[in-house]
Amino acid sequence: MPAVAERAWLGRAVAAVVGVVFAAPLAVLPVQAVADQWRAPALLPQRLGTRGLQVAIGGDAGGALVNSLEVAVATTTAALLLGWPAARVLGDRRLRRPTPVLVLLAMPLLVPAYATGTGLTEWFLRLGLADGRLGLVLAHLTVVLPYVVLVLASGFGERLAELEEMASTTGLGPVRRLALVTLPAVRPTLAAAGLLGFLVSWSQYGLSLAVGGGLPMLPIVLLPFVGTDPQAAAALSLLFLAPAVAALTVAARAARQPR
Amino acid sequence: MNPAMRGPRRAAPLPGRRLPNVAMLAPAVAVLTLLFGGGLAGAVRQSLHPTIDGSGPPELSAWRSVLRDPAFADALRFSLQTTLLATALSAAAAVAVAAALRRRGALARLLVALPVPVPHLLVAVVAVLWLGPGGLAERAIGALPLPLVRDRAGLGVVLVYLYKETPFLVLLLLARMGRGLAQREEAAAVLGASRWQRLRWVVWPTIRAPLAGGALIVAAFVLGAFEVPLTVGPSHPPTLATFAYDQPRLDLVAGQARAAAALLVAAAASIVLAVAAVRLARDAGRG
Repeated sequence: MPAVAERAWLGRAVAAVVGVVFAAPLAVLPVQAVADQWRAPALLPQRLGTRGLQVAIGGDAGGALVNSLEVAVATTTAALLLGWPAARVLGDRRLRRPTPVLVLLAMPLLVPAYATGTGLTEWFLRLGLADGRLGLVLAHLTVVLPYVVLVLASGFGERLAELEEMASTTGLGPVRRLALVTLPAVRPTLAAAGLLGFLVSWSQYGLSLAVGGGLPMLPIVLLPFVGTDPQAAAALSLLFLAPAVAALTVAARAARQPR
Repeated sequence: MNPAMRGPRRAAPLPGRRLPNVAMLAPAVAVLTLLFGGGLAGAVRQSLHPTIDGSGPPELSAWRSVLRDPAFADALRFSLQTTLLATALSAAAAVAVAAALRRRGALARLLVALPVPVPHLLVAVVAVLWLGPGGLAERAIGALPLPLVRDRAGLGVVLVYLYKETPFLVLLLLARMGRGLAQREEAAAVLGASRWQRLRWVVWPTIRAPLAGGALIVAAFVLGAFEVPLTVGPSHPPTLATFAYDQPRLDLVAGQARAAAALLVAAAASIVLAVAAVRLARDAGRG
């Protein structure tokens, strides 16, 4: 049937165009990062080199990369530990009226992070937490924790509870039940929650700007380069993108493991 | 003790069930209440103490001066305008893209999903490299028909969000547009439903909830974020966030209080938007 074949071809072409429209613009970053000289109107760089990468790794930027990484890992870990029990209660639908808890989880995601951060600074300055890693982790928790709880909750439910009950009846203790039944069953959700938590903290701008004035964080160090040094901005962007890509790969792999 | 020997109390041995719900919710709820509540309370306190060290009795002068400031009115209007435009366009584009991709393979979905983990700031950087003066777009096609970076209308800002948020909404929609929906559509077609009727009565009810929820997240983010307007937005009008960001430098004494007041207005606007979106979704559900 030629009409059907033609429509399938058209559909494939539309999908290809859509895919390229979203994927292609990002390709400018690696090219710009190694373009030591790229003057208009040339469509390709005149000279390639590593100047941008040197700026990105040296100076403030290298330290900012480490700071951002440490804060994101610490925040995500704390959010998973604090959020797990709450996610369990919500996911198992144990509450008769979950709305107040859900509203509390939604509010920090709705209110601009910069607003919460500005207010937190007021207290952090008095407590000596401003401009330090602990202050940044606490500030990032306000947005990371709700995301982690909401995603994690979707991994629990009646089916998992039944599996755990079966494990209990066969005499599995709580630790082995957690290791052999619960964790493998929720691994994909756990990976997704961890990934989202990490990315939210990693790319956080408003909270870091409000709370961490003295501690350089990658997004805040990156922004001024956009106007002054596009090559350094592109190189920093690649560094900024790397953990996101790595986290995505790890999460995808963790989710694919046989259950 | 072997849990199986405890007798008929079924629920007792399970790990989570030994603790009451309150105890299990407590860590997350306490931390969030303290941090978020503390943050809001701190912002309110700041807005009421327009002095260098935040001391003195509470007063409303910062609120009064901000609410009367024409620059603030511009910022509020500009923020709402970019938020509504970016959200509406992303939602419409997401529906179209999801419809085009729902029967396609993994590669097309992967390509479209690429911007999702990319931080907003990076998308703004990419926008400057492509669309800025002397950028790749100009080199490829000559002059752009209208300025898209740092333009007063905020088209660059809207474009960045359109590129970044559409894939996010597409993923939410595709998650619901699985085989179940295709089967229901087929069933409706067999019963004689036209293409439009299937769209209205089968597809739309399926995607309405994720679309509304996702659009709400997008709108709340756009309203409060400022790495994007700071990178590709105009210096005037500012958004609410960039207006607040500028205040402490413009006014050394009351700037912090004015910033807090402006941010609290943005917070209130987000909450109003959220309530409106929830109402709208519920009414549409009834209609």
